[in-house]
Formats: sequence, C-alpha cells, structure tokens
Amino acid sequence: MLDALVVAGQTTDEELRSLVTADPAYVDATVARLRGLALAWDSPEGLRPLSGIADVLAAGPPGYVSGLRSRSSRPLDADEVRERLDALGPGARRLLDHVVDEGGQAKAGSTRIGIDPDAAETPAEELVARRLLVPAGSTQPGLLVVPGEVGLVVRGGRTTAAPVDRPPELATEPAMPRLVTNAALGSATDAVRRVELLLDRWGHQPAGALRSTGLPARELKAAAGHLGVGEAAASLLIEVAAAAGLLATRADAGGSSVWVPTDAYDEWRVGSLAQRWTALARAWLASPRLPSLVGERGPDGKAWNALTPELAASGMPEAKAMALAELADLPDGQALASGTGLPSLVGRVTWMRPRRPRTRPDLVAWALTEAAALGVSGGGALPSYARLLVAGGDPTPALDELLPPPVDHVLIQADLTAVAPGPLESALERRLQQLADLESHGSATVYRFTRDSLRGALDIGWSGAEIHAFLASASRTEVPQPLSYLVDDTVRSFGRLRVGFAAAFIRSEDEAALVELLRHPKSESLGLQRIAPTVVVASTPVDVLLPRLRELGLAPVIEGVDGVVRVGATEELRARTPRPHGSTRGAGDARRAAQVSVAVRALREGDAVATSRPASASSPASALSALREAIELGVVVRIAFTDNHGVITERDVRPASVEGGQLSAYDADDPDVDRRYPIHRISRVSPA
Amino acid sequence: MTDGPLIVQSDKSLLLEVDHPQAADCRKAIAPFAELERSPEHIHTYRLTPLGLWNARAAGHDAEQVVDTLLTFSRYPVPHALLVDVAETMARYGRLRLEKHPNHGLVLASTDRPVLEEVLRAKRVQGMLGARLDDDTVAVHPSERGNLKQALLKLGWPAEDFAGYVDGEAHAIDLVQDDWELRGYQAEAAESFWHGGSGVVVLPCGAGKTLVGAAAMAHAQATTLILVTNTVSARQWKDELVKRTSLTADEIGEYSGSVKEIRPVTIATYQVVTTKRKGVYPHLELFDARDWGLIVYDEVHLLPAPIFRMTADLQARRRIGLTATLVREDGREGDVFSLIGPKRYDAPWKDIEAQGWIAPADCVEVRVTLPESARLVYATAEAEERYRLAACTPEKLGVVRRIIDRHAGQPTLVIGQYIEQLHELADRLDAPVITGETTVKERQRLFDGFRSGEIGLLVVSKVANFSIDLPSAEVAIQVSGSFGSRQEEAQRLGRLLRPGAPGPDGERKVAHFYTVVSRDTVDADFAQNRQRFLAEQGYAYRIVDAEDIHS
Repeated sequence: MLDALVVAGQTTDEELRSLVTADPAYVDATVARLRGLALAWDSPEGLRPLSGIADVLAAGPPGYVSGLRSRSSRPLDADEVRERLDALGPGARRLLDHVVDEGGQAKAGSTRIGIDPDAAETPAEELVARRLLVPAGSTQPGLLVVPGEVGLVVRGGRTTAAPVDRPPELATEPAMPRLVTNAALGSATDAVRRVELLLDRWGHQPAGALRSTGLPARELKAAAGHLGVGEAAASLLIEVAAAAGLLATRADAGGSSVWVPTDAYDEWRVGSLAQRWTALARAWLASPRLPSLVGERGPDGKAWNALTPELAASGMPEAKAMALAELADLPDGQALASGTGLPSLVGRVTWMRPRRPRTRPDLVAWALTEAAALGVSGGGALPSYARLLVAGGDPTPALDELLPPPVDHVLIQADLTAVAPGPLESALERRLQQLADLESHGSATVYRFTRDSLRGALDIGWSGAEIHAFLASASRTEVPQPLSYLVDDTVRSFGRLRVGFAAAFIRSEDEAALVELLRHPKSESLGLQRIAPTVVVASTPVDVLLPRLRELGLAPVIEGVDGVVRVGATEELRARTPRPHGSTRGAGDARRAAQVSVAVRALREGDAVATSRPASASSPASALSALREAIELGVVVRIAFTDNHGVITERDVRPASVEGGQLSAYDADDPDVDRRYPIHRISRVSPA
Repeated sequence: MTDGPLIVQSDKSLLLEVDHPQAADCRKAIAPFAELERSPEHIHTYRLTPLGLWNARAAGHDAEQVVDTLLTFSRYPVPHALLVDVAETMARYGRLRLEKHPNHGLVLASTDRPVLEEVLRAKRVQGMLGARLDDDTVAVHPSERGNLKQALLKLGWPAEDFAGYVDGEAHAIDLVQDDWELRGYQAEAAESFWHGGSGVVVLPCGAGKTLVGAAAMAHAQATTLILVTNTVSARQWKDELVKRTSLTADEIGEYSGSVKEIRPVTIATYQVVTTKRKGVYPHLELFDARDWGLIVYDEVHLLPAPIFRMTADLQARRRIGLTATLVREDGREGDVFSLIGPKRYDAPWKDIEAQGWIAPADCVEVRVTLPESARLVYATAEAEERYRLAACTPEKLGVVRRIIDRHAGQPTLVIGQYIEQLHELADRLDAPVITGETTVKERQRLFDGFRSGEIGLLVVSKVANFSIDLPSAEVAIQVSGSFGSRQEEAQRLGRLLRPGAPGPDGERKVAHFYTVVSRDTVDADFAQNRQRFLAEQGYAYRIVDAEDIHS
C-alpha cells in the first residue's frame, strides 16, 4: 500500500484502489491506518506519502517493494503508454518486461540516448526513444530506469501482479503424520547422539581453536569424520552445542586456546534423550548463528570457520520462528511440497515482512534445512512435539512418549560384539563403554570387545571376576566361550610388566651387604625397597642418598646410565659476577631532552593538521547536509567512513546522490568509479 | 515405533534380530538390496551400499519398495537422511542405457539430459564415445562397451545394458539327471542368471556351483569357455561335466600349461590366460578361437586384473560368475559389477546348511604354549620372521597327533602354509604330502585315493585351497595360513562342508575344523582375525588350551 503511494507520488483514494491488487475495502482501511500513523497525509494536491518514506522503503530488494519506481514528474497518460507499448518490437517488449521484473533499472552501456524511434538499432534504444526507459537523471549517469507509469501499465495498471491483501499460499503435498514423526524422530535421536559423541571425544582430545576463537577447518573435518557425517551437518551440531552452552574455549596445558565441553555438559548428558533434545532445539531456535555458511567464502575471500563470532545474522532467529510457525500452521497430513514448497514459503514470509534484507530467502532455506537435520521438522512438516516447541511450550513429555524406552540388556555374540537393541540405560551404557569399543551407533549400539578395550577396563580397576559377572548379568543370552576366554587371557597377561617410581637404585653383588643396609635403623628414612636379591630402590634422590650412605659407613660409587662407574672430584660451586647496572647522569638528561622534543613535535603537527583542514561536518546530521550541498555544487569532498572491517578510511569523492540511506559518489581521481557508502558509516565530511 | 525385527542405524548398517518371529520375512525382504556383512548367532548385520542398491535396481526393485521395507520392519524411527540417500542412490541407476540402435549400432541413451551432458564432459569417458546422434543419444564404439560401463560406474551413473548378446555357435548341451537331481536353489540360480542376461551367482563353498554352471550351459545351448583357477580344478570341472551332462570327454577341451585343446567346451586356467611373454598375452587368441556363446568365471572373487581387461572386450557374450563371496581383498567389487554383471542369485550359507546340502561344522582354536627357549628366539627375531617361527613351532606336532587320534577313522586333512613344516609333519605322521611341487598326476592319484578312502590322512599346502572336491574330508587341522586371510579361511572350511553320504542311521556328518596356534604371538593375532570371520559367518567356535585336548 505504502509502496503504491510512493509509486503514485500524489494521488487520490480512488486511484489507489485501482492501483493496488486488493479488495477496495482493504485499501480504504489501510489508507485510514496510514493516515492515523501519519505515514500518509492529505496535501492540497492530494494524498502523499511522508517524504523520506521512499528512501526508507528502498532498503529492500532493488527498487521499492514492488520493484516499481515513482512516477516521473511529467507522467505520460496510461493510454499513451499502452499505445507505445503496442508499437514495440518483440525484442524490446521482452527486454522491458525483464527490466520491470528485475527492479526497474538497467545500465545504459552503449545505448544512445535522445534519438528518433526509427533510428533505433537495438531494443534498448527503441525503448529509450519511446520514453519507456528514461535516464535516471544527472546524478546517476549511465543508469536507465522504467518510469512508474510505464511499469504500472506493464503490470496491467496495478503495482503488483499478485494480490497484496492475502498472503501467498504455501505449496503443500500430503504427508503421512507417521512418516513425518518417524523422519523427525530419527534425525532428533541422531542429532543428540552425535553431539554427545563429539563432546565426549573433545573432552578427551580437545579441538584446537583459532585466534579468532573459530574452529579450524582441519578440526571440523576430523569431527565430521568421527561422526560419520558431512562437514555441513557437523558444523550445525557444533554450533548448536555451543549455543546450548555445552561447548566453550579454555586454555590447555600449553596455554593455547581449545574447545572443550563445559560443566553444563555433565548436567546435560544425564538427562533423558527428550530433555537433551529440548535443550539443543531451544538453543538452536534462539541462535542467530549461521552454520550453513561454514566453508563458504566470506567477503574477504576466506572460507568461514565454524564458531567464528561474526558468523551470525540478527535476522536468523526471526527467520526460524516465522518459517516454523508457517509449518506449524499446516493442517495435519500436509507437508511443504518437496520442490516448490521452499520458494512459496519464502514468498509468504516476504509478504509478511516485506522490508527484510535480501538474504531472507537464504535464511529461510537454511532454517528449514537445519530444522530437518535436528529433527525439529521431518519431511517438510512439524511433528507433534515440535509444534509444542515452536509454540514456546515444553516438548519433553510428548517426545518422551514417542521415543523408544531404554533397554536393560545386550546380546553378546561369538564374533566378540555386543549389540544393544535400543537405547541403553545410561548406567549400563557407561559401564559397557569402559569394557568395549563403539562400533556402530544409531537407535541401537554395537560394541566390540578387544584385548585393548578389556585391558583399558582392567586399567581403571575392573577385575576379571567383575567383568565376567557384569557380562553375565548384562547379556540376555549366554556369554560366548571365546569372549570368556578372551577376558581370562587378557587378565592373565595383565600386569606382567610392572612399572614403579624410584629416585635411585642401589646395586650390589653382595646380597648380605644389601640385607644389612635394609635392616640398618638409620636407613628407614631413605625409603628403601628390595626388588631383587641384588637390587634395592630408594625414594631418595642420588645427591641425598650418596652422603647418607657414606654417613652409614658405606662406600658407594655412582653408576652412569651406561653402567660405567663415575668417580671424580666434586665440582666447587661458583656464581656469576653481577654486572653493574643503573643509569649515569648524562643518559638521564638526554632522555628527558628527547621526551620534550617529541611532545613539542606532536603538538605542532596537531596544530598544522588542524589549520590545514577547515573544520566541517563531523556529526552524522551535519554530514548529510554537507553531502547534499556538495551534490548541488558538484564539488569534491573528503569523507571519512568506517569500512566493513571497522577501519576508518578517508577518501576524496564527488557525491552524486543520497538515496535509501546510501551515498552514491564518484571517486575524485577516477570519475568512472561509482561507489556507494552507507550514510551512517560516514563520520566526517570536509572540503577536499 | 513398531516391534519389528530390524534396526536401521544411521551409519547405513541394518541389524536383524534373528530370533524375532518376523525375522525370516524381513530377511527375505531386505536380501535383494542389502549385503549381508556378518551373521553371528543373535543379530545379523546387513549393510546398504551403492552396489547393493544398484543390484536391487538391476533385479527390478525400486526405491519406494526399499524405503517401504525399511519402514515396515524397522523397530525404531529411520533416520530421514538415510532414506533420502537410498532414494537418490537408486535413482542413479538406469538413467543411462546402452542400447542397440537399428542404424547406428551401439548407443548410449538417456532420458535425463543433464546426466548425459555431465557424463559426456567427464574425462574418464573421453575417447569411448562417438558422434552425438541427437539430444539424448550418443554413439558408442562397440569395442568400448565394457570400459564405458566401468567408467560410468566410477562416475556414479551406472548404465543398464540392454544391448543384448550374440547367440554364439550353437552346441547341444543337456543335463543328464539319471541318479541325481538339480537342487532347488541351483535351478533357481541358473534361472535367475539366464533371465538377467549376465551376472554373478553367490553360493557357499560346497553348495555345488559347478552344477549351476552346467545348468547355465544347458540354458545357453552354445559353445562355452570356462575359466577356472588351476589345473586340478579344470580336471574336476571336466569330470563333473562328463558325468552330469550330455557332453562327452571329446567335446571338452583343456587349455592349461600342459595341454592346449580348443573344443566346443573349453576349460582354461587363469594362469595360462594371463601368462605374458615379451609384453603380450600369447593366449589371448583363445577368446576369439570360437564364437563362444557363454563364458563361465569360476571363483570370481579371485579373478586377476588382466582378465578384467580382457572381459571388457567380451561384453556382447553372456557371462556367468560363480563365487562364494563378493568380497574381494583388493576391493574391485565394482569391476565385477560392471564387467561380469550384477549379483543375480544369493543364498546364505546357513540356509543351505539348514536344508542339509552342506555339512554343519564345529570350529575349535587350539592354543599351544611356546616353551621358554622358543619364546626367547621369537622375541629376538626379525619382524618378518616372527610369523613363520610362531606358526612352525614343533610344539604343534603333539597337538596335531592328539587330534588325529581323537578322530581316528575319519578322513583328515592337515593344511599348512610352509612347505618345510608340512614335510616334517608328513614324515612324523607318516602321511603323503601335496604341495605346489607335486606333479598334477601325483596329486590326482592322491586325491582319488583320499576320496575312495584308501588314504585316511593327507598333508596339503595351499594348492588345495580352491576348487578341489574332497567330499569325504571330515576333519581339517590348520597349522599355518596366509597371515590373516579371511578368504583362505572360508575356502579351507569349504573343503569340509561337502555333505558326505549319511551314516547307517541317517545321521549327518559334522565337520571338525581345528586351528592350532601359538599363544601370545602374531600367530594368535592372525588367528583371531580369521576366527572373527568364522564367527561372523555364524560358526560358533571355541578356544581351548592344548593341554585340554585328549586323544
């Protein structure tokens, strides 16, 4: 509506009704509302939009919302336009339709302007000659636009082809609720399990972090490999885990920053599957992160890393909420159509929030993909539990009912695998994980017993008898003989080598002498222990042990690592002579003099700068008026603006126009280069 | 959630609970598209692979059926991504077709133009294709039919071959079923192969693959080239064909190192075909010697690489591959699929055993402890010597002797890898020995003696691994092997599984398979690898200490 008003420039209620593709009553109601909001007002000449609205509206896709421009100042009559349109060649007509659909503007290129229709050689020249395409004005040379009145005729006298009072319908197809729930549950269980799998791994082997705190591509690749999924799916899970507060950085032993699970993770993992999923899904819903961009090249040409702080868009939570709300509103048994569903959803969301940025279609598409991957949606529709989530309720009980109950047993087989035919009770699962390696995971879990996995269990304190008892109780079937044998065999070889701590050893061929030493009352404090008839180890280091043994009246010698006896004079200790330091008087004077001269130079330089550059606009408001002035005078100004990297740059430009919150200007050095600068980024304007 | 017998895992493995009442139905439903990976006692593992899914497409199943089967039998929700993946993979098969065009000969046709465009731009197929005939068709050089199929499979767009086969030179071959009958599954296998055109039949060792070959020949009624692994096996094929079909000994030729006959039915060994002299294959002419109507590949999983290349040029002839397993240790399953053909028939080992066609087996691993001195020698030995040292320990002799005594009167094979060890065992046990050095004539004599029962104990090297029919063997003792080869384990067990004549009371033969290994050495590690294979095949096995073996 507002858009139609802008296109029309100044109009009457009657004309608006004919311009807008909608019910007249709807038009009247909306006009009344716009008047009430003071966005439209009745000038003596007719209804007008508030000035400035045109600029604000233009933030959307090129042109205004409907892609049409304002009517030119001397509009042609609609019939006249129609006549001219009819006279067009087919090529020119197609070109015009294309330009109108793509936002109503085109680059002139080599098209000659101001010629006779008969002399036109190209379709574009024909359009220009018939005034169906006009130069945008002196401020934007080289740009041709379709005047609003022409666009209106091309669209059959209306501002939009589609009705604006009804949101566009979603393309749907029938879907069995059972399949929707099935698909979503499958993805939901997988997502939770994979997050757990990954964080468990990172708890032991933390993932390195970049200096920007992002996750290096190599770590992402390793994580994806570990989870058996693609890198896109892995980045989503990692981002969600971080958003849910389960993953954070800390410094490792070497002081470098690494990603590890947080203490919240310990709390999270003991929850039921449904609770864990709810935590992840809520975090995802509220998260502005853009994991779908990971691996894509950013504006600086470098690939985005997962967990990079900048990888977020404030519009993302809204895109998720709106897309899911639309899905939630679908009747039961209907799902978004597989091919056409997404564009129709984007269309509908765009209708609801027409002024959102041009990344909208991407955001909505990502929201849907991510929802499917996390089990928030399945097969293009929402399962019952996700509707609760989207509505802000608690999906946990509903989800709990849908999920399979945990099983309390495994099936152990002769190929040394144990299969848990369903999600295991968590206590059983943890104990099994100590005994066996994970081989396949999903709804069920397959574990494999190996010598190494069993030895790992012995290392953390299991005994052979305990393992046997546990296997017998956990297995619903008889424990296969080869597994029992493997357990016994592993126990048998466990501890065949013993390792201990000792600070020194004492060796002697004279066993009696060693026994005597051990029995000596004063040797107690030395921590002696006899490990072989001729070897005693001591917990006292050699430099203490040696004098003590001598005190006891023994005559020990030191044996080197190569078994050779070392005898020699003891080294006398010396320290290094301290070097005199502190400053002499002359050096202090020189330093003071240097400081003074530096300060004076800085002051003078500042003065010089201040005088050489006349004071001018330094606030955003005055910057705008300074720019307008420069446009009128056509002079070169120096602007200071903040670029995408936060760096303030100065540039000499010749401003051409201020439109839609953007300054378009030509480089002073190179008049062919036309750049756009967002006004809010320009901090200062001064004469060049 | 249902209470189905199947659990679909997100890593594309399928777990089937065998004790479930619906297990048999489920197995039948998933067998066409999922590869059985292992089948221990309670839960069988199947896997979804692109090749398996394409095999199913070749057999006429579509993605909807597969997805429906998974959803019907699955106990838990099936991950959505997996279903999408199944549908996408299956949709790739058959987008491209090889056809015979009335004017242009062999052509590659597609209903999906983007796929054709993608393929035409691929480097791999450069030079195999001729002129573009229209938007959807492109000519193919007839000589590149096999190479093109191979290349397309690697590109992920396997082509369906509708170009048909030449009939070959006609030759009457009939099965003579006088005192025997083709078993149900053998007839089914030959039938499915014939309807499919070309392809592979998977049957366990001892299930009578030779007869499937013979039945296929009876279908073809044409001159046949049979490729087998070695000379002894060639002779066995010949004897079997003479006995079971209308062919006479004069109609069957042997083409091997010693004899070079070309007859209406010719049996050639892999070795002679792949012999290279001065950079060329002198025996390549064999393939063109006659207008063969059928080519039989025995033991497809061992097919050497040069034969793949030769097979690429034989795509216009019907081909049947026979094997016990599609698993190749070199991972060239894809080449078997594209050059010989998709899997046409498959019967699980255990099913055939249950029907009584192969004998059940009792597998035992016996661990001997090395004496202290031998352990020291082993500990200080070079890594490459260790296996030989551990495998050939004289300690094994005593155990072998005790096992032989325990099964006195039952025909027994002692199988090993190292010739010296075998000779020593043969000397001590006073038994004949067969190794690679034994002449073919001598081998025949000894095998015949063993079959007839004159010889009760035979010591053999790996020459006996394949295709040698010793139906009377009841006990096998394995003293050393090719490191951890699962292949070999299957073949050696296979020697035992031919069902003998039932005993006087109709009791069935039970085969005994012993593996003697040295404890705490690489020998035991390799044995574990092979045992795992047996367990995965569903053969429960026991591990016992040598001291517990009493004669």
